[in-house]
Amino acid sequence: MTGKRHPFLLHQGLAIGLLALALYALSTGPYPLSFGDILRFLTVSCGFGDMPGERYALLYNLLVEIRLPRVLAALLIGAALAVSGAAFQGVFQNPLVSPNLLGVLSGAAFGAALGILISGSWILIQTSAFFCGIAAVAVALFIARSFGQSSLLLLILGGIISGALFSALLSIVKYTADQENQLPEIVIWLMGSLSGASLPDVLWLSLPVVALIAALCALSRWLDALSMGDDEARTLGVPVTFTRYGVIGCATLLCAVTVSLAGMIGWIGLFIPHVARLLTGPGHTRLLPASALLGAAFLLLADLAARQFSTQEIPIGIITELFGIPVFLIVLRHVRRGWNT
Amino acid sequence: MTSRLCVKGLVFRRGGRIILDHVDLEFGEGEILALLGGNGAGKTTLLRCMLGLLRPDAGSVELDGQPLGTLNHQKIAATVAYVPQAHIAPFPYTVDEVVTLGRLPHRGLWGRASARDRRAVEDALRRMGIEALRYRIYTELSGGERQLVLIARALAQEAKLIVMDEPVSGLDFGHQTQLLVCLDELAAQGIGILKTTHHPEHALFVATRVALLENGSIQQNGKPQTLLTPEGMERLYGVRVEVLTSTNGGKAFVPVFQRTGD
Repeated sequence: MTGKRHPFLLHQGLAIGLLALALYALSTGPYPLSFGDILRFLTVSCGFGDMPGERYALLYNLLVEIRLPRVLAALLIGAALAVSGAAFQGVFQNPLVSPNLLGVLSGAAFGAALGILISGSWILIQTSAFFCGIAAVAVALFIARSFGQSSLLLLILGGIISGALFSALLSIVKYTADQENQLPEIVIWLMGSLSGASLPDVLWLSLPVVALIAALCALSRWLDALSMGDDEARTLGVPVTFTRYGVIGCATLLCAVTVSLAGMIGWIGLFIPHVARLLTGPGHTRLLPASALLGAAFLLLADLAARQFSTQEIPIGIITELFGIPVFLIVLRHVRRGWNT
Repeated sequence: MTSRLCVKGLVFRRGGRIILDHVDLEFGEGEILALLGGNGAGKTTLLRCMLGLLRPDAGSVELDGQPLGTLNHQKIAATVAYVPQAHIAPFPYTVDEVVTLGRLPHRGLWGRASARDRRAVEDALRRMGIEALRYRIYTELSGGERQLVLIARALAQEAKLIVMDEPVSGLDFGHQTQLLVCLDELAAQGIGILKTTHHPEHALFVATRVALLENGSIQQNGKPQTLLTPEGMERLYGVRVEVLTSTNGGKAFVPVFQRTGD
């Protein structure tokens, strides 16, 4: 949309900042590297220049095998959660909505716990979390549809019911789990962690995440109209049902992917869109990309903090909530502008 | 060809109750049709049917001879615009962004803003006299200003027909009058307007035709001067009404206040 807001190149600036942050994240750790080291490693691996084989092997191990998957996972998950949150807020015409509104996180939590209960296999836990997350949203939509209308209120009601159902199921799984090994594993898993991400996993999952974010960006203009209200969107020529379910579908898949990769990471989906809206205004064409960049940066920072504050790593879900709350409170002072509260 | 929106034998039920019972109504370019009726008479339901937001149980709504059900929303939106009651949007869009939404039916999902889009937006803002509000936040405006912004959006939509739900509700005395003058000018420029209203004197001032909706059916449809009489208003609203005529010929409908037991 046209507008006099922020004529400077906001998104480009954010992207450059994010890149610098990612480089910094690659350079820090128990074995610190300089930017020069990273740059040399990059040029050598592109076939220019030379480096002792032993040194190259060390850098390869540190950068590509250990740090890169983690950094990429943080970028991917942060961006996915923030975009998913912004899209949910737009489609539900409410700035206080989080991606868990339709129960995707509750479903995924149950799925992961079930996976841990049945077997410890990482791939099974991931798959189970992903599909149960989607199943929870499907249940919410089914409940809303079974009342005959797809009004926002019924969708939210469906989400509450579905979320409660899967929370109850999660409690059953926790109760029946072996208290020595499985229960702690479930609890820790639910706190979220980026340490389990492997490079192939991250690379493979980056494809759907990027595609889904692109799909949501493509729907931005319809989402703008829809965020003003159903009737208005329809009389502006927007296919409301298609847009609503399309956006819910994409945002849900994004969320489910993040849970299957790193467990529950809260708050990003709720408050990053508010920060982004302060910078770009509410138009989704600009808001969604800005949310993606800010979400990625925030999770990367949170992960850096999780790694640095203690030798025993703190689960990242705890960090995002601890950091997210003060940031949200600061943002809230500015955000209320235009809410008519 | 000039555009017309025609309602033919429209029946709408909700939960078995008949809300609209064989309604016939039409309006076209250059006309201002005022729809009057008491609370619960079915005005809003009729409006929503005419916009294609509700599907009638029987009968049809036709835009230029084609049933709305066979047209997609983008096609309808290129001709018919909707001006809801000034509302509070959940997000702080600028006035410019809200009015630019009116270009959506022409511009599509991915089209970039063309020179024509920008001109239409500027033109709409100018015609409503709100250029100064362009970069203000829509949600921070007064109710009257927001109503003007929503009409500007309908103009940016380049709609030939505009459907308005009680456009003066919530406006102060001065803004009400300004808005009526503005509607009169739009009709003179060839735009067709259908509006619901609770103010018979507004209809008398600005409407080219009035329709009286009672218990879900159009009881009368004709010239404002012949239908907007004390007797007509008494029937419609169930209270005794007197008409006062001012020195310049303007008319005011005044209810005769009666306490029960008087």
